[in-house]
Amino acid sequence: MHIEQLQLRNYRNYSKLDISFDDKVNVIIGENAQGKTNLMEAIYVLAFSKSHRTPREKELIQWEKEYAKIEGRITKRKQSFPLEIIVSSKGKKAKLNRIEQKRLSDYIGTLNVVMFAPEDLTLVKGPPQIRRRFIDMELGQIQPRYIYHLGQYQKVLKQRNYLLKQIQRRQTSDKTMLEVLTEQMVEHAATLLERRFVFLDLLRKWAAPIHHGISRGLETLEIRYNPTIEVSEREKREKIETIYLNKFHEIQEKEMERGTTLIGPHRDDLIFYVNNKDVQTFGSQGQQRTTALSIKLAEIDLIYNEVGEYPILLLDDVLSELDDFRQSHLLNTIQGKVQTFVSTTSVDGINHETLKKAELFRVSDGNVYT
Amino acid sequence: MYYPEPISKLIDSFTKLPGIGPKTAVRLAFFVLNMKDDDVLEFANALVNAKRELSHCSICGHITDQDPCTICQDTSRDSSIICVVQDPKDVIAMEKMKEYHGKYHVLHGAISPMDGIGPEDINVPDLLNRLKDEEVKEIILATNPNIEGEATAMYISRLVKPSGIKTTRIAHGLPVGGDLEYADEVTLSKALEGRRDL
Repeated sequence: MHIEQLQLRNYRNYSKLDISFDDKVNVIIGENAQGKTNLMEAIYVLAFSKSHRTPREKELIQWEKEYAKIEGRITKRKQSFPLEIIVSSKGKKAKLNRIEQKRLSDYIGTLNVVMFAPEDLTLVKGPPQIRRRFIDMELGQIQPRYIYHLGQYQKVLKQRNYLLKQIQRRQTSDKTMLEVLTEQMVEHAATLLERRFVFLDLLRKWAAPIHHGISRGLETLEIRYNPTIEVSEREKREKIETIYLNKFHEIQEKEMERGTTLIGPHRDDLIFYVNNKDVQTFGSQGQQRTTALSIKLAEIDLIYNEVGEYPILLLDDVLSELDDFRQSHLLNTIQGKVQTFVSTTSVDGINHETLKKAELFRVSDGNVYT
Repeated sequence: MYYPEPISKLIDSFTKLPGIGPKTAVRLAFFVLNMKDDDVLEFANALVNAKRELSHCSICGHITDQDPCTICQDTSRDSSIICVVQDPKDVIAMEKMKEYHGKYHVLHGAISPMDGIGPEDINVPDLLNRLKDEEVKEIILATNPNIEGEATAMYISRLVKPSGIKTTRIAHGLPVGGDLEYADEVTLSKALEGRRDL
């Protein structure tokens, strides 16, 4: 799939932008603070309906404007159609083929995007919620129903935490209600866990050989899922539900004392091992970078196999951070098949075939020149 | 102030209604000014009377102008079955169907710890009292099929089960007359879960 055209209105520092892209490689060049990342972000928002940089959607609207609009014309399975995201003070609208989609799970997944930005290093180094967010977003875009189940889970979790808080403060002692919410939570937790296990299997399958390649055969990458219950990834849903139920039963007193839910997919984590060592703790900066890159590149193949088309790749200011070998590995991977957007302050020193054939866009103060 | 006080008060009153924004409120207020005096009076009376004369049935909690309500008073209805719903509007929906001849119990909400709504805030104690006093054989839980409605149904069934009264939950699944291919995955999987022998 690829983006043919992009239109922005009142979006961050772009008042009005109408632009057409090459279906292979597009290089976006500009000084700092001119709008390179904003352009990348716009494509990301078009795919996920939310920004990777901020949870506050109003930031996307240009100063003192009423609304911001991102419209893109997408080609997917040989069909061309528009996608639109409109953000205003009243909220957000996502339109597919000009028709508003009330449920995000009906919208997300239409446009698949893989983004690699400097902050993706935190995927390995950062706190667990970054890795959970990664699983949720990536799983969501290949399996939109996952978003629905995640939403349901989060709702029950919120209800349950409120109840536990009330029990902790002795405002209620209703154990029956707690049992009901536990049962509801276990149902959704098991669904999430089962789907995450399937996704992880795919991620491992694609990431391991890529990591091996990037590290010139010196490193083996292993991805482990670290759940809050003792469960094998082979277990079926019913069994996972039973394990959760037993565990919740076991820790009930503790949860009531603490006033919050202590186990569940919202507390799970991913651990990356390189040559049997935990990269987060023991890996070098280089190993952490390679791991993040392998995971991101694995997604390209993963999405291709699940969705049937290559996603769009956004490389925000990362090319300059990679050494020559990793750079060419990356560029070889995308060669000719993945529509790619590369943002950089300069193309000097990057001598790869792929970039020589690329379409160049110069960004300056919210304007783009070809 | 652009408007004289009587009309600005009227506009303010209209804005309190659901789905009415400031512009619609202005339009409605000016429409009222042009209405015949009799119609306006009738309208005002209807508003006051609806509020004054309607109350909740002391048995089932449905809205009514007489207590107990006509459904609770109706001796031809089967009082051994109680259908538990969240809202008076749900009773109307059930009644339109003309297939159900049991009694009702209106909860006026669903349990939601997040909004500070517990079982005692939604007519559940009244329901339990009814079960003690009346000869009830079955309870149909017809709360909404969302997280809160589902939790409320599960909660009530847990309280009622030990008494040996049959508790049932209305089915979720495919809309009648619809196409299988247009159903979303969640609805389909619920429909599959609730499949029955033919």
